[in-house]
Amino acid sequence: MEKSTFIALLPAIPLFSFLVLALFGNKLSRKATGFIGAGSIGIVALLTLIIATEFFHSLPQIKTYTVVVWEWINAGNLKVNISFSLDSLSLVFCFVITFVGFLIHLYSIAFMAKDEGIKRFFAYMNLFVASMLILVLADNILLLYLGWEGVGLCSYLLIGFWYKEPANGYAARKAFIITRIGDTAMIIGIFILFITFGTVNIHELMQLASAKWASGSSIAVITAALLLCGALGKSAQLPLQTWLPDAMAGPSPVSALIHAATMVTAGVYLIARTNMLFSLAPVVQFAIAIIGALTLLIAGFSALAQHDLKRILAYSTISQIGYMFLALGVGAWSAAIFHFMIHAFFKALLFLGAGVVILVLDEEHDIFKMGGLRKKMPVVFWTFLIGSASLSALPLITAGFYSKDQILWFAYSSESGSLWLWIAGIVGAFLTALYSFRMIFIVFFGESKTLPSFNAGKLMTVPLVILAVLSLIGGFVELPESFGNFHPFSKLIENVLPVVLIKDIGNLEILFQLLSAVIALTGVYLAYIIYFKKPSLSASFNHSHLNRFFEKGWGFDKLYDTLIVVPVVWLSEIDKNDFFDWMNIGLSKLALLLNSLFSITQNGKLRWYLMSFVIGIAFILTFMLYK
Amino acid sequence: MTETDFLCLTPFLILALAPIVIMLVISIFRNYEIVFGFSLLSLILAFAALFFIAPAIPHSIQPLFIIDMYSLFFLGIIFISAFIVALLSYNYIKRLEGVREEYYIILFTSTLGAALLAVANHFVLFFLGIETLSISLYILIAFQRTKDNSIEAGIKYLILASVSTAFLLFGMGLIYTAFGSMMFSEIATAISLQGPLTSLAITGFGMMLVGIGFKLALVPFHAWTPDVYQGAPAPVSAYIATVSKGAVMAVLIRFFFNIKGFDDHYLFIIISAIAILSMFIGNILAIRQQNIKRLLAYSSIANMGYLIIILLTGTNKGIQASLFYLISYFITTISAFGVITLLSNAKNEAEMISDYKGLFWKRPFVAIVFTLALLSLAGIPITAGFIGKFYVIFEGMKAGLMLLVFAMIISSVIGLYYYLRVITTMFSPAGETTLPQITFMGKFTLAAITISILILGIYPGWLIDIITRFVGL
Repeated sequence: MEKSTFIALLPAIPLFSFLVLALFGNKLSRKATGFIGAGSIGIVALLTLIIATEFFHSLPQIKTYTVVVWEWINAGNLKVNISFSLDSLSLVFCFVITFVGFLIHLYSIAFMAKDEGIKRFFAYMNLFVASMLILVLADNILLLYLGWEGVGLCSYLLIGFWYKEPANGYAARKAFIITRIGDTAMIIGIFILFITFGTVNIHELMQLASAKWASGSSIAVITAALLLCGALGKSAQLPLQTWLPDAMAGPSPVSALIHAATMVTAGVYLIARTNMLFSLAPVVQFAIAIIGALTLLIAGFSALAQHDLKRILAYSTISQIGYMFLALGVGAWSAAIFHFMIHAFFKALLFLGAGVVILVLDEEHDIFKMGGLRKKMPVVFWTFLIGSASLSALPLITAGFYSKDQILWFAYSSESGSLWLWIAGIVGAFLTALYSFRMIFIVFFGESKTLPSFNAGKLMTVPLVILAVLSLIGGFVELPESFGNFHPFSKLIENVLPVVLIKDIGNLEILFQLLSAVIALTGVYLAYIIYFKKPSLSASFNHSHLNRFFEKGWGFDKLYDTLIVVPVVWLSEIDKNDFFDWMNIGLSKLALLLNSLFSITQNGKLRWYLMSFVIGIAFILTFMLYK
Repeated sequence: MTETDFLCLTPFLILALAPIVIMLVISIFRNYEIVFGFSLLSLILAFAALFFIAPAIPHSIQPLFIIDMYSLFFLGIIFISAFIVALLSYNYIKRLEGVREEYYIILFTSTLGAALLAVANHFVLFFLGIETLSISLYILIAFQRTKDNSIEAGIKYLILASVSTAFLLFGMGLIYTAFGSMMFSEIATAISLQGPLTSLAITGFGMMLVGIGFKLALVPFHAWTPDVYQGAPAPVSAYIATVSKGAVMAVLIRFFFNIKGFDDHYLFIIISAIAILSMFIGNILAIRQQNIKRLLAYSSIANMGYLIIILLTGTNKGIQASLFYLISYFITTISAFGVITLLSNAKNEAEMISDYKGLFWKRPFVAIVFTLALLSLAGIPITAGFIGKFYVIFEGMKAGLMLLVFAMIISSVIGLYYYLRVITTMFSPAGETTLPQITFMGKFTLAAITISILILGIYPGWLIDIITRFVGL
């Protein structure tokens, strides 16, 4: 067997275990369910490792592994295969999906141990991993879209996992509908690409696009913008960001895997994968940077005002993906992917940590009702602290520093970068440090308000520790030029994505790093002062209108309600019984009426039946002879 | 008679010999299993014989027979269907009191009649086939002599079929008077030479329509269908719905295409009207039906309405579409009746929809088989029924039969309602029913049929390929 065929197993294994759990779930014990659910992802993680070793060996001769599994569609000139291809970009994503995914699955065995829906849970989670792997491994854009919709479906199912609570169902529908807006734009973009170039293969599409479309031509701009809309919806960026905070209604492992580490970064993947298209549309690419900068600020402020532990993390996720978009927008492709990977580590860690806290405090989400947990649950505290430090990009020791700093530097120094983008980034970094340590000081320090009802087991803490280690040392795969000058990660990514173009501004990187280090530390210090040392300083702000405004996510929900939801509901209300409904209702009424009429003839009497013969032949002969 | 003639007649000889052998055997020694096994074997032999004939075709035995790829295809379908019906009947017939082995004798004679229709090239063989088939069916329908409505169904079928046959025969006579021949091809030549049809010929064709319309259960000659389907044993209903109708369809298509009936403006309008009426009346009558056998009877009226659209396309492609449609309709119908057969016993026929309440929760396998069969009848994708319907609509649209296609689509929507009604009943919370267990053989047969429904629905290419490569008139 060709070695590259193994990559088809990556999505196949979780898909298979999904089928097993879905079809035979009733017959499995809870233990077996966890074993199959987490075990399959473990196998896939191992497989990824094997494939990665093989891949590194064959570099730089072979940069892509491709395997065609099946002919999917063959109609007219639309020929689509179920075929996968693996390059450095998808490898990084596969690595995160399978490894972080495996840790989260392990954690879930303990987290969901008492939940009656554990079989359903693992079935959905495995389906999610399968879809996500299809998304990142697809070699044509239609298969990518299949994975894209698959993860959307799983996200919907898992947000509404505890469906008996109506609010959860509402959150699930909200996420589904809002991302659908982006998806609709995206499929139109895909149609345009297919109609213009007659293929759906991503590689061919990109080659053809850069050969045939002029840079800045309107068709390129429109197509890129449509794909961008899809990415904005999936990655919860402005203006389609409103679904993610509500998505926290799902179980915490779901938030960690889907709404932090993997699915929400699918937009980043899409843009990186189709980067040539975006290079042809500089306007759109610049818009990505602007959207990223705005999103990271708006979400940063919102995170600062939240009371719910998971909502803080949700806004933080939106904000951090904003950084990735900023990097994509200025052409710092590998920086975006680097931050994606590091973010997956520390954000999964934070969500899992928050999950433990919430679980042991009997579903308490409000941080102001927590406190003093440092002593009660030391492992969770230390790992959460490391996660927050990495999120705040504390200099030198945390991975987040290396990834975020690279973005900040390129936001200024790349060819399309500017001082304004950098300022947005640095303000965001300050906010990040502030809200991260606000969590730490309020939740883990001070006097204890609620006591934990039990201690988290090893199955939960071990994944935390592993993720904490990764959040610290994960950054050393890429060190800045100012010190270390060690670039294996960007070298790897540059096999696929273009190198960032730098303006000629001299070697100022060290200065920028110092500045951002200082800013981050200031943020932490300020958090220490106003949330721990003198809480009265922040108390007055807590009740201000501005704080309310931030807490409600800058009023976007309200805005969309008044602008879109209310008019649409009103319109459909007055249009309830329109002409088209009459047609349907009329048809069914008519059918029922005729049914009772015709039924009379079916009375079982032979003479009636014979009569209908006679009438029939009479009609036929009359008609045929009367000409 | 030449050697080739003999070769071409082997399947018929096998079908004719088998009942004689069975009769001889049971007059000495009755054993249900042996008769059953022998019947299956004979049907397999008859089917296998088709492959030996294949190199010798097209071959005609003047003046009655014509054996070409088209007839071989129909013979194949008829034999396979008879085989599956025999297989499904095993337990059903075994549990009856009184004579049982005779069932298989009659199954053979009726299959022989049906097979003759597939090779008929002459009114004599046409009539012979239809009568052999009908007379056998009277007996099969009334096979449960102790049951009132079985007898009632048999008598009804007998009287109505006799009347319709009288019409058919009279029609044939008039056509012979008009053209001086009873051979399809000679009639066709005569028509093309004579120009416009005379009143005599028109009356003849009109009369024949009664006979054919009765056999296919087309409106307004349809009224017998629900009563007969309900009264007959379930496997016999399956047989009438598939083999009997398929064989008549085979001869109808051959005759109609030979005489180029679609070119006659008035015949065209009449067939269109019959098609549209059959679709709508069949589907509408079914919507409030509580008895599944009657429901499937109405469904078959509508399905034949869809199918005769093909007559008006007048193309070889149309014939190919009709073949695919018939195959998918055959397996689907057999599957549906198969479920009813296997869930019934001598005393209690599982024929009311309420009997199936909550079936899914107790017998998931049977419920899924039945669901797929109903979805296929409704023409829902990934089932054979969808491709069949699609194919007919496609060819109909290519031939410009927009009104008929439109009627087909609208009436299919109405039809969807009652199929889904049965499905929702099966998936609703479990009821109080006590249905018998299904044997392993029954399960196996159902599984095989269901898989073929799915295969034809998902990957129909190979069958369409075979049909388009070999079959045509």
